[in-house]
Amino acid sequence: MQVETGTRSQPHPLSASVARFLSVVGGLGVLLSEILRRAVRRDFDRAELLRNLYRMGLKSLPIVTVTALFTGGIMVIQAAPIVQRYGAQGLLGWGAGFGTLREIAPLLTALMINGRVGANNTAELGTMTVTEQVDALRALAIDPVAFLVTPRFLSIVITLFLSTIFSDALALLGAAYAGAGFLGVDPGVFYRGLTTGLLGFGDVAHGLAKSIVFGCVIGLSSCHFGLATSGGAPGVGRSVNATVVASAAGVFVLDYLLSFALS
Amino acid sequence: MTGVDSSAESPAVALESARSPITAAVGRFCLEQVETARDLYRVFVVTLYYSVRGEPNRKAFFRQMYEIGNRSLIFLCIVMGFIGMILVYQGGLQTQRVVPDLSLLGATFLQLLVRDLAASICALMLATRVGAGIAAEIGSMVVTEQVDALRMCATDPIDYLIRPRFLACLSVFGALVVIAAGVAFLAGMWTGYAFFGINPRTFANMSMVGPGDLTIGLTKCVAYGAAIPIISGYCGLTAFGGSEGVGAATTRAVVNSSLAVIILNFVISGTGYLIFG
Amino acid sequence: MIRLEGIAKSFDRAVLTDVNLFVPDQCLFGLIGPGASGKSLLLRMITGLMRPDRGRVTVAGRDVLTLGDLELSEFRKGIGMLFQNNALFDFMTVGENIAFPLRRLFQLDEAEIAARVAERLGRVDLPGFEGRLPAGLSGGQKKRVGVARATIARAPIVLYDEPAAGLDPVTSQKIFDLLRAEQRAAGATVIMVSSDLDRLLTVTDRVGMMLDGRLIFEGTTEEARNASDPRVHQFVHGAVDGPL
Repeated sequence: MQVETGTRSQPHPLSASVARFLSVVGGLGVLLSEILRRAVRRDFDRAELLRNLYRMGLKSLPIVTVTALFTGGIMVIQAAPIVQRYGAQGLLGWGAGFGTLREIAPLLTALMINGRVGANNTAELGTMTVTEQVDALRALAIDPVAFLVTPRFLSIVITLFLSTIFSDALALLGAAYAGAGFLGVDPGVFYRGLTTGLLGFGDVAHGLAKSIVFGCVIGLSSCHFGLATSGGAPGVGRSVNATVVASAAGVFVLDYLLSFALS
Repeated sequence: MTGVDSSAESPAVALESARSPITAAVGRFCLEQVETARDLYRVFVVTLYYSVRGEPNRKAFFRQMYEIGNRSLIFLCIVMGFIGMILVYQGGLQTQRVVPDLSLLGATFLQLLVRDLAASICALMLATRVGAGIAAEIGSMVVTEQVDALRMCATDPIDYLIRPRFLACLSVFGALVVIAAGVAFLAGMWTGYAFFGINPRTFANMSMVGPGDLTIGLTKCVAYGAAIPIISGYCGLTAFGGSEGVGAATTRAVVNSSLAVIILNFVISGTGYLIFG
Repeated sequence: MIRLEGIAKSFDRAVLTDVNLFVPDQCLFGLIGPGASGKSLLLRMITGLMRPDRGRVTVAGRDVLTLGDLELSEFRKGIGMLFQNNALFDFMTVGENIAFPLRRLFQLDEAEIAARVAERLGRVDLPGFEGRLPAGLSGGQKKRVGVARATIARAPIVLYDEPAAGLDPVTSQKIFDLLRAEQRAAGATVIMVSSDLDRLLTVTDRVGMMLDGRLIFEGTTEEARNASDPRVHQFVHGAVDGPL
């Protein structure tokens, strides 16, 4: 029993923010351990996994395609002044290639998938939470983490991995055509520049390893914020906002750490 | 940009589609896009009209400036700081493979920042943070009939809801980009010094930044600052169906704003390259 | 006056079929019917918030469907509306919510606005609530704030969608009496949708009943009580046995 002893002092806004931040990180950690436990035991709903793979993967294809093509083009346009200055047409393939494979393709694909799949996932889980469907699952003795969360988490990771591969290829394609269009660099020269030996499979693997980590971040964040929604329709909107911001920040921080660690 | 619907069709229509289902689907998709584009254009023009002719709504404007500007600043600085470090680190590594001299790294990096990256990365990040926020706010007002109540009080929701956000984002975006670019540059400078031993003075080299680069960068700031609130506001206004609808509208806003930023980036960069070289 | 002719609307299925409704000037018209019979949709069509697939909507001599955006805005200045879910602006206080129509429609000074808001709040039994936020109110309190906002501008046409839903019996009766008194004082044309039939029928002049998207009855309150149509009879008297 609590005894009120006069006025309660409000926590300082800074410590309130820190406490909130730590509680989110803690929540993420707990959720991650629960998901991994079930994933390792193969205790998740396969039908849900396939359904989510279809919805997330297939329906993100147009976005990933457009993003990758335009990104390739932008890379070339950025490299163009340098190429013109040094007459290094042959190096265009290398220049566009390394940036794309190691950084740009994994990063931009992660951001677009975050926006499309991550936000959508949080919105769905959030709606289910505020309409008490998740509680209904528990009441039916169905484990929501195994039934809902783990399949979604796994399909986000798989979707991002496959999308990054796809995005790598398309970005280089877009870059080749932009190179031909803006700089008059023959696509054959571009292709040779890619494969001269300055770029290796290691660069591709570097990007793909990142995509797996990004997928984990996005999947974890979107599921956590979805399940923690409260407050009706505005609450769902707030959760989507929170997950999109948290995932983006997480992706960038991890990108830096991984770039450093994997070299 | 709402995707192809799979609603039940009457037998006659189904038969029609059965003869050329792919063409029907593509045609329907294109028609939807055209309609969306037309609506979006209308929202943009009406917003401009109210910006010039409407009665000023200072309280909402300043509140939005705070929401969009102040509350995004830390997020943007963190992201741009890491971008600066990543770019200089990766760029240095790769350049070392080809050319041992890293003296122009700072100059190239600065030019890239001014011309493209500062504005575009800030725009992508704002598209997620601000775009989601605007769509969520306006979307939940739509599904709780508050927007209809506004209309009943002879108030155009575009005037009352979208205009302050549009003006605030335009005003604040440039400032955010400049600050974020500064943070990225300093982070890059530190990375250059810590990992490659580049003298900060060598790094801070403005020689490669020309008036063309500044123009392109500023154009991008204006274009992105205008596009994000319009697109997310439109997605918010077209929400329907309860909390699910709010979530769907928020997702659409983030995706479409991000796509718009990428496409605008390509168009402006390409045009800029053709004009300025 | 308000006239609906041949109104039809469908989404995936038909929700309104051939509705013909006439509300004379200065009449308090009750619109009744089971859930999902299309009552709220009709109200939205009168205000121009929704367009029918077919038919004509004439309000105060103007054909609503031919009005452009700016004209619609002008037109709505003459209509007050209470929404089924209140639709209070959750980013404004109660006082600002109620004052909002006044600010948009008239040029009044702050003292005048404050006085009228206080008067409205007094009439709906919520004195001193100006500074509260809608999020902190109960369902019944929100409903009463909605009534205050709908009536403050004294519009010549007012539409109420469930004005007493979620209110206790005493407050319900007070609200109905208040709305009747307002209508008499302003000489307004009013349409009221309510499921509280006993109380509604004490204040209405005429009644219309909707069933499955059709208007199956229109007449005076007395005629409704003594209707020959068994469906109307059963609904008005709240009987369990019958065709419904």
